[in-house]
Amino acid sequence: MDDLLGDFVAETRETLEALSGEIVAWELAPDDRSRLDAIFRFVHTVKGSCGFLDLPRLEKLSHAAEDVLADVRADRRRPDSGLVSAVLAVIDRIAELTDAIEDGRFIADADDARLIQALQPGAAPAPAIIPTPSTLEDDVAALAQALDAIQAANDSADDENEVVVVADVAAPQVDRPVTSAPATPRVVSRTIRLPVDLLDRMMAGVSDMVLARNELARRLRESGTESNTEVAFERLSQCIAEMRDSITRTRMARVEHLFTALPRMVRDISAELGKIVQLEIDGGDVELDREMIEMIRDPLTHIVRNAIDHGIELPELRVLAGKPVAGRLHVSARQVGNQILIEVIDDGRGIDADQLVQKAIASGILGQERAATLSWERKLDLIFEPGLSTAQQVTAISGRGVGMDVVRANVERIGGLVDVESRPGQGLRLTLRVPLTLTIIPALTISAGGQHFAIPRSAIDEIVRIGGDAVRMATLGGADIVFIRGTRVPVVSLNKVLGISERSAQANLVVLKLSGGARYALAVEAVHDHEELVVKPAAPIVMACGIYGGTTLPDNSRPMLLLDVAGVAEKAGVRHDDKGATETVVEDNDVDQHEKGAVPVLLFRDLDGIERGVPLALVERIEDCFSTSVSTTAGRMRLNIDGRLVPLVSCGAPIIEPKIRVLRMRDGGEELAYAIDIVIDIVPVAIELQRSTVPGPVSGVMLVEDRPVEFIDAFWLFAQGLGIEPASAQRPVCLLSDEDPWTRQVLAPLVESAGYKIIYSQDSGVAADLVIIADGTASEPTEAGAVLRLRQNAEERGGSPNSLWRYDRIGLTAELRRHWNKRSA
Amino acid sequence: MNDLYLIVEIAGQRALLPAACVESVVEIEDIAPVPSAPPHVFGLFALRSRVLTVIDTIAALGAGRSCDGEKQAVIVHVDGHLYGILVDDVDDVVQIDGVPAHPRAPLSAGWARYSNGVLEHDGEPMLLIDVAAMIAGPIDIAA
Repeated sequence: MDDLLGDFVAETRETLEALSGEIVAWELAPDDRSRLDAIFRFVHTVKGSCGFLDLPRLEKLSHAAEDVLADVRADRRRPDSGLVSAVLAVIDRIAELTDAIEDGRFIADADDARLIQALQPGAAPAPAIIPTPSTLEDDVAALAQALDAIQAANDSADDENEVVVVADVAAPQVDRPVTSAPATPRVVSRTIRLPVDLLDRMMAGVSDMVLARNELARRLRESGTESNTEVAFERLSQCIAEMRDSITRTRMARVEHLFTALPRMVRDISAELGKIVQLEIDGGDVELDREMIEMIRDPLTHIVRNAIDHGIELPELRVLAGKPVAGRLHVSARQVGNQILIEVIDDGRGIDADQLVQKAIASGILGQERAATLSWERKLDLIFEPGLSTAQQVTAISGRGVGMDVVRANVERIGGLVDVESRPGQGLRLTLRVPLTLTIIPALTISAGGQHFAIPRSAIDEIVRIGGDAVRMATLGGADIVFIRGTRVPVVSLNKVLGISERSAQANLVVLKLSGGARYALAVEAVHDHEELVVKPAAPIVMACGIYGGTTLPDNSRPMLLLDVAGVAEKAGVRHDDKGATETVVEDNDVDQHEKGAVPVLLFRDLDGIERGVPLALVERIEDCFSTSVSTTAGRMRLNIDGRLVPLVSCGAPIIEPKIRVLRMRDGGEELAYAIDIVIDIVPVAIELQRSTVPGPVSGVMLVEDRPVEFIDAFWLFAQGLGIEPASAQRPVCLLSDEDPWTRQVLAPLVESAGYKIIYSQDSGVAADLVIIADGTASEPTEAGAVLRLRQNAEERGGSPNSLWRYDRIGLTAELRRHWNKRSA
Repeated sequence: MNDLYLIVEIAGQRALLPAACVESVVEIEDIAPVPSAPPHVFGLFALRSRVLTVIDTIAALGAGRSCDGEKQAVIVHVDGHLYGILVDDVDDVVQIDGVPAHPRAPLSAGWARYSNGVLEHDGEPMLLIDVAAMIAGPIDIAA
């Protein structure tokens, strides 16, 4: 909160300084409309800020002044000299209080009421800014008010008032709060405000320094200097780099700064209005010019306040309308091309444009005839008309019709736009679009016709080389297209768009994303480097080309143009919303790929670090889960997915990480999960395996992109995961004739996991398909089909010839399987 | 009106630039072209870390195109952007009082578009260049 308060103080003071001239001028010519508007906007802003900073005194004062000024604006009152002085007195008091906030001093609020009273029509001429406590009446009045204040202070247990009041009564003659010496030492602020101009000059200076450094580096290389010089030079370079970094950062700030104040503000406003609002904030890490952030702060505050006040309904009304009780307010920032979009979306009642039109007609802003010709959008634009409000009643929060006109004025001043989108009854979306001046964006530098250009990295999907395996060029009715891994993408030649001749063949394709999901491939001669670039808007005449997003100065001091990805597409005639076409082609291409026998294969790194692949068609989804949801039950690993136990198979390596990634596979009916380490890629592969010689999880190996990849034997996987669990009736029965703990605890799970149903006693009446007995047991089971004898020792000494050592797992499993197969057949 | 003017020579014609918008006069070379921009946009040039748009006055007047190589440019500030106006020569800064008069002779199409009137200095009449119009170029005519 301290930050916010500091911002508020600095801002208010700055505006006051700027306003002081206006105030004097207004005093001379009270009819001057523009000055009146300026002062009105000031008190309105102060009021708004106070609302959420919890400064009730300032809010009360500014609200009172705003009321009066609103009357004057609406021509309900004439600005006579009494009114002007009363307003000026209030503004002076705001200044005093602002100073006091910073110093941590307290100021008597005893005569606040008097100041407010003086604003009323017919009030006696306003008291001077510094009250003269000479007359007895004044003193009595002051005392009476002070007593009231004491009462109030006691009621609210507000120590601020208490301290102040005592001082006031004791020494009414020093009631000069501004000039009196601060009671507490001034806290030295650790932040300062600087003119942006100065920062710009610093930035330019550092950039020049970088260029000079590069020049020096070249000279040093040419002259072949000693290592001493080089060390010193290296240090210099480093200093310059660091300085450049920090100066660059001075201009940039995350939008977060703009958003941090919102939760508190939303909470306070909604509490005041008795509404329940759920705030969602998104994209705080978008970087934006500090100056921009400051310019957007007020408009955003206004918009959010309006959204809660006018947009979101009271809980009861929301329930009636069938909406969730809590209103949803979504504030997000994102970068789109060379703009930053800040969206405020609420799910409230929206704006009824027709109602707006009626109000506009009623207040004389709009003629009846013209109103009939307006489109819905134009009607909505009326909210930007000064003096028009959609609110039914004026509240302390908003509803005076100020705001939206101010919002638009502020945003347009920085070259931005405000869009409104309203669905009556469902909500409102307000979008602030602000340009990306002096934003640092990661970019890819490419060249065409020997000239370098930059492409914003955010727009780049991938970079492919023409001639690569996965890339096939073709022409379609004169248009170039490219098949990239089975998808058809239109090709745009940058040289053609720019109208420059080719220096060398265009060997690279940069696949670019457009808003709306469409893609196109930009053919360029060479791809150079990834760089962080400071982008500035180019001159209007250059921007008018429609294909550039701005200019930037790389280290070689030769200006470079940033391409506007959407503009290039438009100029080349690539249709934006042609997504359907791309998708139909995907099918064509699948056929194409099928002819070669290629299927998409998911490559992943297994838990044991080996790269493996599995046909993508088998994988239903890839999911992250906690290893705590893995349990080893009934002899094997299972994964708890949404309350169901799904068999979990792995290559055998232990699961150590707290989080595991699994491939969920389905063979049509049954489901299982396969634990992996990480997904590598999805590539089309014509599977030609060198078959594995032993049955197991790996069916074979082949080279994919020159790397050996083991392919998972899907058949084995499902057999392993599921085949062992046929319905119990179909399972072969194994009789364990001994009932000692070893048999029950150690042997039984193994037999069970091999797919057998276990019985312990022959009396159960079920014919056993297999009998396992300890070797040496005398009693020979009678009718049973097969007998497996287990002996205690590894050596075959003294045992029956066909007996197995009881820990011979392989032999045991093989026997179990042999009998299982025999039974099944 | 501005009282100080810079006398320059453009396409063999002596003309005046209002000194108020002139920042400096520099020699520039190695200008990065702007493909698909109007012909009178010669390119971009970095001056002390600031990118300026170089305006080819000859092309703007519809008289061909300036040749490559080092040339002189007057740096002007218009609407928050920097431009370099290519000139053949820069003469002097002079003070001329009075309001630009209407040129009584019919001017060529190019000059008519870019001039704000005529001022006289030492008996020599010179056209006052409308910098903003010169930067906008002949594009509006086509539009």
